[in-house]
Amino acid sequence: MIDFLQSTLDGLTLGSTYALLGIGFTLIFGVLRKANLSYGPAIMVGCYGAAWVSMRFGAGLLVLFACVVAIAVVASVYVERLSFAPHRKGSAVAAMVASFALWMQLEEIASLAMPQHIYAFPPLLGAAPLAVGPLTIRVESLVMIAVAVAVCLGLRWLLYRTRFGIAVRAIVDHDTAAELAGIDVGRTFLLVFALAAAIGGIAGFLIVSTQEQVTPMLGMWSTLKGMLAMMLGGLGSLPGAVIGGLALGLIEAHSQWYFGPQVRDFLAYLLLFVLLALRPPWMTTRSAS
Amino acid sequence: MKSLLLIFLALPLPVHAQKILGSMECTFTGTDFVYDCRVTLARGGKPLEGVRISVGADMPSMPMAHNIKPVVAKPGKAPGEYEARLDLDMIGEWAIKLRLSGPVRDQLVLLYQFDERGASPLRDERGARPAARK
Amino acid sequence: MDDYAIGVLTNIGLFSFVALSAYLLLVAGELSFGQQAFFGVGAYAAGIGTAMLGWPLPLAALAAMGAGALAALLVALPTLRLRGLYFAMATLAAAEMFRILFEMFRWQREVDGEPVGPDGAQGFRGIRWVFEAGVEPIGFLALVWLLLAVVLAAFLLVERSRLGAALRATGEDPQLAGTLGLDVVRLKLGVAAAAGALAALGGALFAHHNTYIEPRNFDIMLGVHSLAYALIGGLGTALGPLLGVALDLGVLEASRVFQGYRMIVFGGLVALLLVFRPRGILDERLVHRITRSR
Repeated sequence: MIDFLQSTLDGLTLGSTYALLGIGFTLIFGVLRKANLSYGPAIMVGCYGAAWVSMRFGAGLLVLFACVVAIAVVASVYVERLSFAPHRKGSAVAAMVASFALWMQLEEIASLAMPQHIYAFPPLLGAAPLAVGPLTIRVESLVMIAVAVAVCLGLRWLLYRTRFGIAVRAIVDHDTAAELAGIDVGRTFLLVFALAAAIGGIAGFLIVSTQEQVTPMLGMWSTLKGMLAMMLGGLGSLPGAVIGGLALGLIEAHSQWYFGPQVRDFLAYLLLFVLLALRPPWMTTRSAS
Repeated sequence: MKSLLLIFLALPLPVHAQKILGSMECTFTGTDFVYDCRVTLARGGKPLEGVRISVGADMPSMPMAHNIKPVVAKPGKAPGEYEARLDLDMIGEWAIKLRLSGPVRDQLVLLYQFDERGASPLRDERGARPAARK
Repeated sequence: MDDYAIGVLTNIGLFSFVALSAYLLLVAGELSFGQQAFFGVGAYAAGIGTAMLGWPLPLAALAAMGAGALAALLVALPTLRLRGLYFAMATLAAAEMFRILFEMFRWQREVDGEPVGPDGAQGFRGIRWVFEAGVEPIGFLALVWLLLAVVLAAFLLVERSRLGAALRATGEDPQLAGTLGLDVVRLKLGVAAAAGALAALGGALFAHHNTYIEPRNFDIMLGVHSLAYALIGGLGTALGPLLGVALDLGVLEASRVFQGYRMIVFGGLVALLLVFRPRGILDERLVHRITRSR
């Protein structure tokens, strides 16, 4: 029972980062109906940039956080301009393959600038874990969950209470109608990309400061987990991405505990495959809000 | 297609000989990702001499696309030893491919982790032989 | 030809099998992220055939193609109704499951006093048929390209036939194709099986070229690259994927002009190219213009 509770706690922690990654990925997919494979690599470049700033200047955590988000946003805007803006009315396949090409670019830039591959990152808190009865809770876990909740609330406000949010929802409903109504679709897409990268950057910062290291795997990992969270929660729904992320975290934590890492990954993919093949009703949601 | 199949089916059955074992030691030269390596070959416990070795390196992910230009190793100081300088694209894990020709024809694949000092074997230090199972 | 040139040409040939496999699905309107799985199935099956069971390579390669087609059908049947990104994700999930199964797959037997066979994540060593049969590197290169030529000839023949037209019609609009009286389900399953067998043939050759395979060889990078190669080269003709592979492996990698920066150059070129030619260099329009002017 204690093991079960502990795994559930670990799963929720892991799940809250997956939820953040999922929200970022879903934001882009929900609005553009195109998958951005460079989503994770942009986050990775941000984390490498921050690791460099930390090594070079010994900067504090707040500065590093700003670095991760800022660089991820810049990288993402670059990806949008080169691989999504030209295909706005065109093929989703071409846009996706172009975003893959830029992934390769970002990865090579990161590995040229930071040839050691694995870099230390300052710890988020470095506080001792809390003991609640027989369970141990890392303080970082609480921070992660709190940040995930805060981001969800902030995003909700942004989508329902601002002009930008209205524009986004109008485009999701009908992009041509939105354009005719005078909404600058291209600019909104760019902003959506920047917003998604910022949320992904927050997730990336939490991950590397909890793991206390940056590795080149972060790029592919973030794209995959974001995509899985989105898929599990039904394509293109933001609350779905949160639920999908948490579900993925719980499944991974429990199957890791009972069966080990290989089976954990296998089960996550099997679940995704079965869900896709069966297409339960919630998997066909098409709205972004 | 059919005639090609016939040619390959008609090839003489292979003659089995004792397996060749290879190992490698590398030191970092100080220039980025250039390593001086010494390859040792042995067969049946005896050093294997006079072999032409072409040393290549592949990355574990996508070995068909990420590989370095192979270099031919020079005979080293002791019998069965060969020397080669490898110019890798990055540090990390590489599958070192030794293509042997001359008196013997074979290929050995050795897995090594390259870092700022040299290379350490991964999983399997005896070359063609799989690691002992626990 | 020196060793390096032979190596590069062999790699281009080997990669072309997977790129053609991705291309076949693209033409039929499906985006697969998972063709690397069948390349892997072929590599393992053929390796087991020659190294463990003592079969000659042609027999092992045929068995590998059968295994690849079967595995592809296994993935295609439950995903028949899926389109677009749903299909892409399902194939990716399936391919990752295959990769994890390779990691868990341990089966070895004694051959000449040495244990040979797949050893989980440690990989599968000693697939040495090519050396035992005394095939020179140049001979193996010829074998790879001869088989590729046969495959290409088949592609070009099919593309000119009614079957090719049916394929492209299904790719454009499966519902319309269905109302025109085409058996869309059979076409899709046939395409999946053929693409699986094709990738598996490439894998069988790859295993024997490398003598060593491991699960990481068959990760998502291989699948996404083959998709990218097919799209860059162009969706108008089966020569497209070959052009895509040759551009990256032959021109950028082998020229070594951009050593260390290759991916930056390649990535930028691909993104720019797709802006101007979203269906690749040899797209349908260009191919149509060339074939008409003849």
